[in-house]
Amino acid sequence: MSKYISNTDSEAKEYRGRFKFLYFCVMLASFTILTRLWYLQIIQGHELRDYSEKNRVKETKIDAPRGFFLDRNGEILVQNLPGFSVTISPQYSTKLEETAKAVSEVLNIPADSIIKSVKVSKYKNGPFRPVPIKENLDLTEVFKLKLIRMNHPGLNIQQNILRNYPLKENGAQLFGYVGEISKNQIQLLNTKFSDTQFEQGDIIGKSGLEEVWERKVHGEPGITFVEVDARGREATTDTPSFLGLKAYKAKPGNNLVLTIDKDIQIAAYQAMQRDDKIGPRIGSLVAIKNNGEILAWVNSPSFDPNEFSKGISNEIWEKLINDPFKPLRNKIIQDHYAPGSTFKPLIALAALQEKVITPSTIVFAPGFIKFGRRLYHDHSKQGHGNINVIQAIERSSNVFFYKMGISLGIDKMFQYASAFGIGNKTEINLFNEVPGLMPNSEWKKRQYGEEWQPGENLSNAIGQGFVLTTPLQMALAFNAIGTDGKLFKPFIVKKIMDHKENMISEYSPHLVRDISLPDENGFFIDKKNFKVVKEGMRLVVNGERGTARWYQIPGVEIAGKTGTAQVRSFSAEQIYDKCHERPIEERHHGWFVGFAPADYPEITVAVLAEHACAGSSGGAPIVKDVIKAYFEKYHPEKLKEKKKKT
Amino acid sequence: MSTNLKVKERSFFQRLDLNFVFVILALNVIGLINLYSATHSLNVTYNERLFFQQLVWLFGGWFLFFLITLVDYEFWKRFSIFFYFVNIFLLIAVMAFGTSVYGSQRWLDLGFFRLQPSETVKLAVILMMAKHLSEKSAGRGLGYKDLVFPALITGVPFILTVKQPDLGTALLMTFISSSMILFVRIKKSILILVTILTLFATPIAWNFGLKEYQRNRVLTFLSPGRDPRGTGYNSIQSKIAVGSGRILGKGFRKGTQSQLEFIPERHSDFIFSVLSEEHGFIGSVTTLSLFLILFIMSINIASSAKDKFGTLMVVGITSAIFWHMFINIGMVIGLLPIVGVPLPLLSYGGSSMLTTMLGLGLISAVAYRRYLF
Repeated sequence: MSKYISNTDSEAKEYRGRFKFLYFCVMLASFTILTRLWYLQIIQGHELRDYSEKNRVKETKIDAPRGFFLDRNGEILVQNLPGFSVTISPQYSTKLEETAKAVSEVLNIPADSIIKSVKVSKYKNGPFRPVPIKENLDLTEVFKLKLIRMNHPGLNIQQNILRNYPLKENGAQLFGYVGEISKNQIQLLNTKFSDTQFEQGDIIGKSGLEEVWERKVHGEPGITFVEVDARGREATTDTPSFLGLKAYKAKPGNNLVLTIDKDIQIAAYQAMQRDDKIGPRIGSLVAIKNNGEILAWVNSPSFDPNEFSKGISNEIWEKLINDPFKPLRNKIIQDHYAPGSTFKPLIALAALQEKVITPSTIVFAPGFIKFGRRLYHDHSKQGHGNINVIQAIERSSNVFFYKMGISLGIDKMFQYASAFGIGNKTEINLFNEVPGLMPNSEWKKRQYGEEWQPGENLSNAIGQGFVLTTPLQMALAFNAIGTDGKLFKPFIVKKIMDHKENMISEYSPHLVRDISLPDENGFFIDKKNFKVVKEGMRLVVNGERGTARWYQIPGVEIAGKTGTAQVRSFSAEQIYDKCHERPIEERHHGWFVGFAPADYPEITVAVLAEHACAGSSGGAPIVKDVIKAYFEKYHPEKLKEKKKKT
Repeated sequence: MSTNLKVKERSFFQRLDLNFVFVILALNVIGLINLYSATHSLNVTYNERLFFQQLVWLFGGWFLFFLITLVDYEFWKRFSIFFYFVNIFLLIAVMAFGTSVYGSQRWLDLGFFRLQPSETVKLAVILMMAKHLSEKSAGRGLGYKDLVFPALITGVPFILTVKQPDLGTALLMTFISSSMILFVRIKKSILILVTILTLFATPIAWNFGLKEYQRNRVLTFLSPGRDPRGTGYNSIQSKIAVGSGRILGKGFRKGTQSQLEFIPERHSDFIFSVLSEEHGFIGSVTTLSLFLILFIMSINIASSAKDKFGTLMVVGITSAIFWHMFINIGMVIGLLPIVGVPLPLLSYGGSSMLTTMLGLGLISAVAYRRYLF
């Protein structure tokens, strides 16, 4: 202290005496640590050294099997299968080059690449992590590898769980697929949910229901403690009793019971893949029950989600994302199209309810009308003559509905179409749903800063122009027509059960609104108007001049509507050109939305066949097949009854 | 007459507390040797990058150390408010666009360096507290009114850090502030009241303040066997590592517990278990002694500082390093529950290394100016 000039007289003197206390605290803390070190390293040292030498315990995570997806009758849609993979542990692989050579002979992988991947992983992850060489071995490969394993230390065959989709391409966009969690997702999910800890290598749902219901389906991983010997080899997999460590079994994920009917789903997929003049359809199909339950969900072309479970190859992935017809896309909700003539029943309802016409009003519908300076054409050159609303729907007269559009105006059409959900998300529990679009004059002003042009009433009245809708919206809207106004919210998951079959949650139909009852603004549609429109739709399939009259089912009457969505506009001369002679990307999309029985539906099916030219040949036969499959399964007596009569 | 009184001006090295520098250097050497072992496994080198990064930070740290030694610490007193608000701003920035690791949002990505403002804010709080308390005369101890401002200074960064969530650092901040307040002395009645309040507040904080995983850590610490998700595993493995080192240790890079990946975060929070396993009781006690010497020297410097601000600043910094060391080692040897607190000078980490060297530089600056001429 003598070398310092004393501070006793300075202002800091008031702290004098407190430094002793500081010395004391620091000493006391050091002494505490010293005592503990003495206890651990000297008194317990011998014992703990033994643990570390002989009984080294390694914590290992056991992945939980994901929950199954079952159909409405308990049939398996998505399940797990055991898979085998081969790994090499760098730390034990004493003769890596020989091992690589032997393995390469069995698996047809170049030995060089095996050596390289082992060395890279050894550098990156350390010698203890086994390096996967090939996953999803077939049984002969497993057998051959087991034979050579004894001579090659470090070579290991591991069993793992493989997500399996027995329906393969069918329904792939709905069920989704699984894959290894990405670094971003680890961060994202662990921040979002504090009760789960995801790690690198975890398998999670990446799209469709697998992604939406990830948290319910994933399960809880278990923990086991593996005793390893002094050189790091696994000695036993029993849980060591010492140290009070407890192993936990993995808790399998919950099973989802879906509203899907496996048989209808299969019939729907086959119907889409039909081999007729048009060939396998590109597009989508959705079938619903009259309470909003989804029965079948098909997008085409599709992909095999099993490829993702195995770890998809770059080649297949590139092919999928570069396919112009977008196999990965859930077109039923992610794509919207002009509804075309399928929009006409909604306009008919509006015209009847607004008393623009009565059911018996006769309207002259020639081959075109002139409005303003433009000609508006019908698809039939000769036109339809004098027709009423039922005939107009049956024959799909454009001119009839042009006239309705002129009388109603866009804002009335908007009111009616919106009531049926056109232009609004259905709020189905799936990702990336698009809302579609139902325009009105206010929207036009907002979007383009322009007034609504009267001429636009005509095109929008026949479902062209600005109107856009998804196949799911159309199915729900047609179901609402069929049920005299009941618009339901669609749903796919009926029940969630844990692995012991205990009910976790149950979901019931949700009626969005009944359009036949007045809402707060007094808006409603009279039930008798539904009857009129339904009659027109019944004749579309069952009438003499119906646009889909070739697709009847004996015994069960289908009501529906064909539609064509133009991909691009054509000049007046081109309109009557043969659609099939155009390049495929210029051909029209074909719609058919139908339900059965025609008087009050049990099932409604919407089909959008991209570039199929027409709704009748493109979509109607598919809808017919699906409805037939439904009645064969649930009401076979109805089909037979009529067959005998005919 | 004047010739007799002529005082020879002291050179840089005479003014610098060289012993203090040597103790820090000794801890640096131990830290580097140990980090090398923790990042270089038996037969492969991975995480090699970490070792070199630490070297870079260490050089940066020493640069700061000497730079700060030369600056009159009056400067820090004057700019403590500015420094404090910059740090508060950084903490808010972290909440807005920080990078998160393991579910906590603690880092600001500056491109070349990821800054952890919750490390530097501790220093800012110390400077503010030292400035504030040094301007008060508290002969009979601080009263209730005197505690409002210190509570605010600590409270704001405390809440911001808890939100990250980084409970360990937030608690450390209260420990440091409390240490400084206790050093300045408070009224006995307050001390008693605070003790009683803490006793009552603990069960409330337990039930409503802590997250599930935080409660688990504490419960696991109290009985390592219960362990629902292997939380006790870390603690047990760490104890085995330390104990199995015995007297002389298993040798450099021969610690099987650490090398075989039994110890998580062995290069950062659990660095001391690598040291204890590989260098045994002798190695651990040597390191512990060096820390003790560092603390005693710091307290000496505090007691001989030329003003109250200097004394309080040194006391604050010393208590910060002390609490880090005590909590970290206490956690590794199973005396305290597991909290993510680094061991100063030994753990890998840029923000921790730079802040520690900065703090030590400030202590050195006080020592540098202990002479009147």
